[in-house]
Amino acid sequence: MSLVVRKYVPQIIISAIIVATVAFYYLYISKEVAGAFSTADKALSDWAVIITSFALIVGGIDILRFHVLRIKREGLAQAPFSTVTIALLITMVVFGVIGWYYSYADPKAGITITTQPQFRWLYTNVYAPSDAAVYSILVFYIASASYRAFRVRNPMALLLLITAVIIMFGNTTIGGLIWPGFLSLRDWIMTVPNTAAFRPITIGAGLGTIVLGLRLLTWREVSWMGRRE
Amino acid sequence: MKAPKGVVIAIALLVVILVISVVTWSLRVQLYSTRAPFSAFLILLILLVAGYVFMEQARLGRSFPVRKIPAFDAIEEAIARSVEMGRPVHTTFGFGSISSSMAPQYVAGLGVLAHVARLCGKYGAKLIATLGVPEVIATTEEIVREGYYSAGRPELFDPAYNVRYLTDQQFAYASAVQATIVRENVGANIVVGPFYAESLIFMEAGNMVGAFQIAGTARETQIPFFVLVADYSFIGEEIFAAGALASGDKETLASIRAQDIGKFISIILIVLGVIMLLGGFKLVDSLNWVWKFG
Repeated sequence: MSLVVRKYVPQIIISAIIVATVAFYYLYISKEVAGAFSTADKALSDWAVIITSFALIVGGIDILRFHVLRIKREGLAQAPFSTVTIALLITMVVFGVIGWYYSYADPKAGITITTQPQFRWLYTNVYAPSDAAVYSILVFYIASASYRAFRVRNPMALLLLITAVIIMFGNTTIGGLIWPGFLSLRDWIMTVPNTAAFRPITIGAGLGTIVLGLRLLTWREVSWMGRRE
Repeated sequence: MKAPKGVVIAIALLVVILVISVVTWSLRVQLYSTRAPFSAFLILLILLVAGYVFMEQARLGRSFPVRKIPAFDAIEEAIARSVEMGRPVHTTFGFGSISSSMAPQYVAGLGVLAHVARLCGKYGAKLIATLGVPEVIATTEEIVREGYYSAGRPELFDPAYNVRYLTDQQFAYASAVQATIVRENVGANIVVGPFYAESLIFMEAGNMVGAFQIAGTARETQIPFFVLVADYSFIGEEIFAAGALASGDKETLASIRAQDIGKFISIILIVLGVIMLLGGFKLVDSLNWVWKFG
């Protein structure tokens, strides 16, 4: 039984979904069947959303478990960070539940989970600025990575440096002032060599996906299931 | 040499589909959806049948040479180096909705994770797998557990330490992964899967602690970051081949040959398209033909 549940049932589900998805996408039998395909296709997407919602609950429990155990094991060194994480996690859940309660108890008030005032305040004033701050760090990382990458160690690195300089001048106003040709040169690099380099990667990824699908369909790709019995 | 039954059935199926298509086309019957060009369906069928034929041939003993992927071979070196330095191995496999077109990259990432977990078990390395998608928590725990148990090191498996779900918010995930890499002082940073703007944050964090870095994605906009910063990188389709290489199974490896057939078809179409364009004919218009009557 264990072998059937662990190995065969997931593989049968995967194979059935692959066949159904390909059929939904490519085949047309009649207007009614196409309508039924479309409904089933949408149902599959809805199931994915439902599974994700339940998985988020598991995720929340996993975060709690990790941080509680961490405080226990590592004591004061880790306690401040883990305490803040746990406190904020619980706070957001509590305000979310209050919003959810009001959305049913008093629908006229127009309060939902995301519009609950405290929930919204925390999201707008705590989460959003932190999120933007982490994103903005990226500019410094790009600078440091570029510095290392643009050191001329061989002819290819020199080519990379020249291209990068042209693109940088093409993207800045000073570049246009130095030589207006930077703008058209930048456009040519982005449209011709850059696109030519990207397309094979995209085609290759598509081919890789098809072959991965074949391996899943023929039960050859089993690493995603973990245990091999 | 007598062809195996499976190969005959697969080729016969392809021929039957083609015959049905030609007959229905001549009768002006709507058989295929107008959502995609018929050429896409045809190429998909050819690749699936070709892959299946190669796998069947491998099952009967024919071996197919598979090119080495340096990034894949470097995984063992990275883990062994981490053990020597007494530092843990960090791995993460992407961000984004698992029910989107990124799903195959997650499967590829899980294949690499299985290989990493087995090697960590073999060398006795501590593995930290950080996650940004809650749907794969159970799978990841199972894969890491299997890696340690199959290597006879069950004592090293601690789900609370090995598998860490962080958040499903992009930059909170990026921030938490960065913190994990730095605080745990990881010796190897292996990131394979779908990545967005967070890719460079992971790479720079790994660089800060001097970790051996192996990265890969099929998202073309992030590949340059990985190529620039990582010690070894999987480029595009290589992440899908990595799962097959990790399995070590001859039949699974043979399926990669179908990718070569796909590349061959693509090259022929590109060359043909350029030649025909010189004659004033756009091949792409013919390839974009959709099955639409009436």
